[in-house]
Amino acid sequence: MSLKSKLQRMKSHLAKDAPSQLVPSPPSRDIPYLPQWEELQAKPFFFENEYIMIRETRYPLSYRHGRYSFEKLPELVEQWNQGRASHPLSTSGTQASDLLFFDTETTGLHGGTGNTIFLLGYARVLSDQVIVKQYFLPGPHEEVAFYQGFLSDVRELKNLVTYNGKAFDWPQVKTRHTLLRDLVPQLPLFGHYDLLHGSRRLWKDHLPSCRLSIVEQQILGVHRQDDTPGYMAPLLYFDFLKEQDPSIMKGVLEHNEWDVLSLITLYIHLSSLLQGRDLAGCTPHERFQIGRWYEQAGDQLKAVEFYRSCQDLQPAQLSLAALYKKMKDWDQAIALWEQVAVGNSPLLTEVYTELSKGYEHHRKDYERALFYADKAYETWKLYRKKLGKEKEPFVKRMERLEKKCKLR
Amino acid sequence: MKRKQNIHDLLNELKIDERFANQISHWHTLPEREANLVPFPSTLDERICDSLVRKGIRALYSHQATSFEAVEKGHHVVAVTPTASGKSLCYHLPVIQAISKDSDTRALYLFPTKALAYDQKTELNDWVNDMGIPVKSYTYDGDTPSNIRQVVRKAGNIVITNPDMLHSAILPHHTKWVSFFENLRYIVIDELHIYRGVFGSHVANVIRRLLRICTFYGSTPQFICTSATIANPKELAEQLTGQSMTLIDNNGAPAGKKHFIFYNPPVVNQQLHIRKSATLEARSLAENFLSNGVQTIVFARSRVRVEILLSYLQQLVQRKLGPKSIRGYRGGYLPAERREIEQGLRSGDIMGVVSTNALELGVDIGQLQVCIMAGYPGSVASTWQQAGRAGRRQGESVVIMVAGSSPLDQYVMRHPEYFFDRSPESARINPDNLIILVDQLKCAAYELPFQAGEQFGGVEIEEILHFLTEEQVLHFQRNKWYWMNDSFPAHNISLRSASQENVVIIDQSNVANVRVIGEMDRFSAMTLLHDEAIYLHQGVQFQVEKLDFEEKKAWVREVQVDYYTDANLAVQLKVLEIDKQRTMPPGVMGYGDVTVNAMATIFKKIKFETHDNIGSGPIHLPEEELHTSAAWVSWQEEDLRSLGLKELEYGLVGLAHVLRHVAPLFVMCDPQDLHVVPQRKAVHSGQPTIFLYDRYPGGIGLSEQVYKQWDQVLLNAEEAIEACPCAEGCPSCVGAEATGKELARVLITMMKGVGGTCH
Repeated sequence: MSLKSKLQRMKSHLAKDAPSQLVPSPPSRDIPYLPQWEELQAKPFFFENEYIMIRETRYPLSYRHGRYSFEKLPELVEQWNQGRASHPLSTSGTQASDLLFFDTETTGLHGGTGNTIFLLGYARVLSDQVIVKQYFLPGPHEEVAFYQGFLSDVRELKNLVTYNGKAFDWPQVKTRHTLLRDLVPQLPLFGHYDLLHGSRRLWKDHLPSCRLSIVEQQILGVHRQDDTPGYMAPLLYFDFLKEQDPSIMKGVLEHNEWDVLSLITLYIHLSSLLQGRDLAGCTPHERFQIGRWYEQAGDQLKAVEFYRSCQDLQPAQLSLAALYKKMKDWDQAIALWEQVAVGNSPLLTEVYTELSKGYEHHRKDYERALFYADKAYETWKLYRKKLGKEKEPFVKRMERLEKKCKLR
Repeated sequence: MKRKQNIHDLLNELKIDERFANQISHWHTLPEREANLVPFPSTLDERICDSLVRKGIRALYSHQATSFEAVEKGHHVVAVTPTASGKSLCYHLPVIQAISKDSDTRALYLFPTKALAYDQKTELNDWVNDMGIPVKSYTYDGDTPSNIRQVVRKAGNIVITNPDMLHSAILPHHTKWVSFFENLRYIVIDELHIYRGVFGSHVANVIRRLLRICTFYGSTPQFICTSATIANPKELAEQLTGQSMTLIDNNGAPAGKKHFIFYNPPVVNQQLHIRKSATLEARSLAENFLSNGVQTIVFARSRVRVEILLSYLQQLVQRKLGPKSIRGYRGGYLPAERREIEQGLRSGDIMGVVSTNALELGVDIGQLQVCIMAGYPGSVASTWQQAGRAGRRQGESVVIMVAGSSPLDQYVMRHPEYFFDRSPESARINPDNLIILVDQLKCAAYELPFQAGEQFGGVEIEEILHFLTEEQVLHFQRNKWYWMNDSFPAHNISLRSASQENVVIIDQSNVANVRVIGEMDRFSAMTLLHDEAIYLHQGVQFQVEKLDFEEKKAWVREVQVDYYTDANLAVQLKVLEIDKQRTMPPGVMGYGDVTVNAMATIFKKIKFETHDNIGSGPIHLPEEELHTSAAWVSWQEEDLRSLGLKELEYGLVGLAHVLRHVAPLFVMCDPQDLHVVPQRKAVHSGQPTIFLYDRYPGGIGLSEQVYKQWDQVLLNAEEAIEACPCAEGCPSCVGAEATGKELARVLITMMKGVGGTCH
């Protein structure tokens, strides 16, 4: 029996990978379907014996993608440069035109050596226009030309703006680059603004998921038409490899182009929220999250500003009070806590305790401190099941304060 | 109350007490062995010598020194050593020596399981910490936190892992390990003998992949393997690694005195020549030791037997020892549970353990004094492995092998010389099994593209690459095959079994606390986890309420019943292609490809103690199909017509029963791996036929071996039948149901072509 017929018979035992179809593979150096490529604004780039396709599309600065037009970007970058806020998404020290809004399309969804990147796309906002440049790999053999073309063009990758690029796109670029490391230029140092992180902070509680397409629709006002969903990209690419007809890739190229444009809009939106330019336009929840983000980034003044703008959103008030305490601004902290301390809720155990500490150690008002220690204990008793925790510290505090009161 | 007896007293009692003494068919004493020591090699780094001295080691055993020298000379080595012979120094010494000279040196240690890897790391770290040589060693497995993983990849001198992890996590991500692969100098494979059959065949391919990647990064590592005693360690190591090996077998470790007792249970039914069950006898023997506070391990041959023995013993000694001190140990328990048991054995909190061959592996459970095997473990190598559990660190110890009624067990009882004189079995692998090879080539292509003309472990693979291209897994361009699929192949391919997915066992006794208590492969689940089956776990009975075969879940609930269940598997077999054939008038011997269809049909409920059949029920599960290779032997029906139809069938069933037990002896495999099916009218020839087939898709070379050694197999089957003292046939030869002793003899005589007449 021939090996092939054996293989056919044993197919059911083999791990499944794909539906079966025949693959003719014409390795020819003429560029197949060149006119069709040109129609898609793509041109070949040759390197040694290989070629790739580079597609370039341009947009005027005034072009509106979703809720903003691109000309807004330089303004916001300028703003970052002028302001003193320190924040992970701040592009202080760079120009709008330095930013590379970057996305890839790959042959698989899992990271790993065999997952090939077949499309690298980026958008750049220049002083007069927006350019989207896409590097397309017409076959796995052309990978050297692919990275050669891309790396010699961009030179610098200090200012990548991506969506989940930290965990996916960039490691994948590194993986494929490692395989070719002796044949292509070194990967430059890179800096990274990953917008997925920010989107999760601001919207994860309010959106079904933080996929870019959802954020586009719900937040950015971008509505795609006839979009090719991202998960189809690998399958279409496999078809393309057999047929070589660029019309198969048209949808994927547009999808990727759309992605990088949306990254511009998303960055504009996040920056303008972060810069507080449109406080009225964002919800108290967003302002609260931005405040927390600044606080974690170490910019306490900005954090205070955003917390304060949340009006009477309780979590924001609590965070603000805790921040005042950290900044040793006891008066403000105590005032806030007292403002919050009405009614009953398990959270208040903590608030009363803080108040008690504040009055004891900073105002030296032991009666008032005892009053709050007592309140803390009462609240704890009310919610002890939910709160767990030991009784000890409450009792100890009250005893100590009672002594102090008597000493007076 | 009697005072507690020590092991010496207990042995004397065994010799005197009639209940036991008459059943001892052979008592073999293995004398003490002196150590063969040699001084530290002069080239060995002084810091290493000093630290050895601090550990109380002032000289090396001969095999350790020989390994060190051979590795220094640049040889790939395989060291064969019994348990507790300090085998780990065979690889630690050369590896640490190399690290002491060049701190960039990297080594990969492969252990068959995570637990063994973990043991090794702890031991190694304790030792190197005070050595003054910075040796960074880490385990790398599913439990390694991601922040540590990066450290391991970037800086680990010694990375300790298992083949599964190498297969699914390291090789497919080799670009994250650049400096590791560039500097990889040693690959250590411990417990080499475990890598046989399907698992070994897969691992050989994983190593081919590993070496392919090393070549890509420009390194050519040296292999250091260690193995328990098998007949062909050199051959196995060479097949597994593709390199020519230097064999090191001058074991210099000392050993204590060991009593090896062959125990044949009394005959309880003279007519049918049925013996008392090995399980029950092993129970009494174990009870005797355990109740005197002698740490004992009992090996049983199946999971069910483990659980039955465990519940017996736990009841028996509960009053004397407390409930926790006898535990079960087998595959299917969760890792945490296993760790706890190992720890308990080492500390002495656990007095006894009942285990399947899961404990054959080098898991450290410390020193036990007594090992009892309920039934012959099935192979010489495996028996020595289990026997090694007793007295592994010297001192007097006892091994008792209690025979079952099977032809194989009885054969061993009659022929102790077979056991002590015969070299242990060979371990076989077939890395070129088509199914395994194709699966592994996918993984290899995912890791690096294939060049036209490239071989894989010396195998021509172009045809397979073309096939995978047609299957849309690879893409061929300019003389290279590229992975071109959106899947991650290593995730779909398991090294350990044919059926890729396990059935998870879920205990729903407590509605508020539904929990997973174990898992089982799909094929075993057909007969062990069908609806209404009694599943035993740590001596607790569970009834399967529902087996969801689609979703791979078995829902069980705790019960207390006085029976266990036993399921029947109906098998159909068709020959697809005859590869080899020889006529041995008046019969034909053949070898080729077959399809096997197996279906679980009914189950029986069998009462404990009496083993009565007390009920039965149907099993509704889909049929499993298997394409594999088989050897078969067929007769001419016309020659046998005079026997009569019924008689012919009895004869075939009887002979198949003997072959089922005898054949595994010659091809060294677990009887589970080689199945035997008799057919009165085989589909392909219409003739009476007995098939022996491999239990893994595509075959792993077992039936081919049967085809080659058929004459020997047949002779021994005949001998087994002749030597059995029963009159008409019994479970120890042709089986209980067929009265086919004479008929089986006729078939053998016919096949041998001697006389060829029937009465």
